Amino acid sequence: MPSDGEVPTPRRAAGRVVPVYAVTGGRTRSAGKELPVEALITVTHSGRHAADLQLEYRTILGLAAAPVSLVEVGAHLQVPVGVARVLVGDLADAGYVAVHLPQVGGDGTPGPEILERLLEGLRARSG
Amino acid sequence: MRDRGELYPLKILVAGGFGVGKTTFVRSLSEIPPLLTEQAMTSASIGVDETSAVPDKVTTTVAMDFGRITVDDSLILYLFGTPGQSRFWFMWDELARGSVGAVVLVDLRRVDECFPAIDYFEDRRIPYVIGVNRFPGSEAHSEDDVRDALAINPETPVVWMDAREAGSSLRSLVALVEHALSRTAVAG
Repeated sequence: MPSDGEVPTPRRAAGRVVPVYAVTGGRTRSAGKELPVEALITVTHSGRHAADLQLEYRTILGLAAAPVSLVEVGAHLQVPVGVARVLVGDLADAGYVAVHLPQVGGDGTPGPEILERLLEGLRARSG
Repeated sequence: MRDRGELYPLKILVAGGFGVGKTTFVRSLSEIPPLLTEQAMTSASIGVDETSAVPDKVTTTVAMDFGRITVDDSLILYLFGTPGQSRFWFMWDELARGSVGAVVLVDLRRVDECFPAIDYFEDRRIPYVIGVNRFPGSEAHSEDDVRDALAINPETPVVWMDAREAGSSLRSLVALVEHALSRTAVAG
């Protein structure tokens, strides 16, 4: 729990009644591949119709109506990225969210095609 | 399982010394309100001085600044302001992995504060550009002065910018992506 002296205090997550480590069952890692902080998630058809989920999971599915990254999920839930990674991993395992990973080449960096598209997009914005 | 077409995240790091304008830069471009996220930091990552008074396995958190730019229908770019102090380098490794590259912001009155960031990206061959953030007196220096002071190689772009202005920050991102592309062309 945060200490009293911690400032600035982020707004409280609405309605959390149990500590996050209880939600994750004390896990700090998901079983699957470690997701990068920028990995995007989107809710799937079955995720839209999922019932009886804990608040944190429902919140994530709501956020993922539009593409949202792991780091944004963490910020919205006000939990560390590691915790968000576990929760998102659970939803992905259940088929409730699709995970969109960065496209990188053999050297682990974005390839020229994607950089070209990024450049084009940024130039269009700079007018 | 996919409900939609291709969708790719990208990320760029914004580095530099304390108070050089990293947060301002990220916020000038981000389409989402400022959000802080926390990254767990175990005692192993903290310097010896800080851990001497606390028991093992203590976990603290460090705030991470980030922003988002929806580039087009399928590309979303994230900007991460990286904590300046070297004890946070374990975080840089995770952030730098798979990144397009970095903008290293420099305040010419305190150039030495950007050296750890420059060394970090040089050592890992991660593309970066130098963004000379406008502070009083920064116009008085020529590009040659800056290159000499920073001892960077001739290919590394240097741009004069103002982190408070979105257009200016955007131009430094464009310079970075151009630089990253030119390097893939050479490598390929």
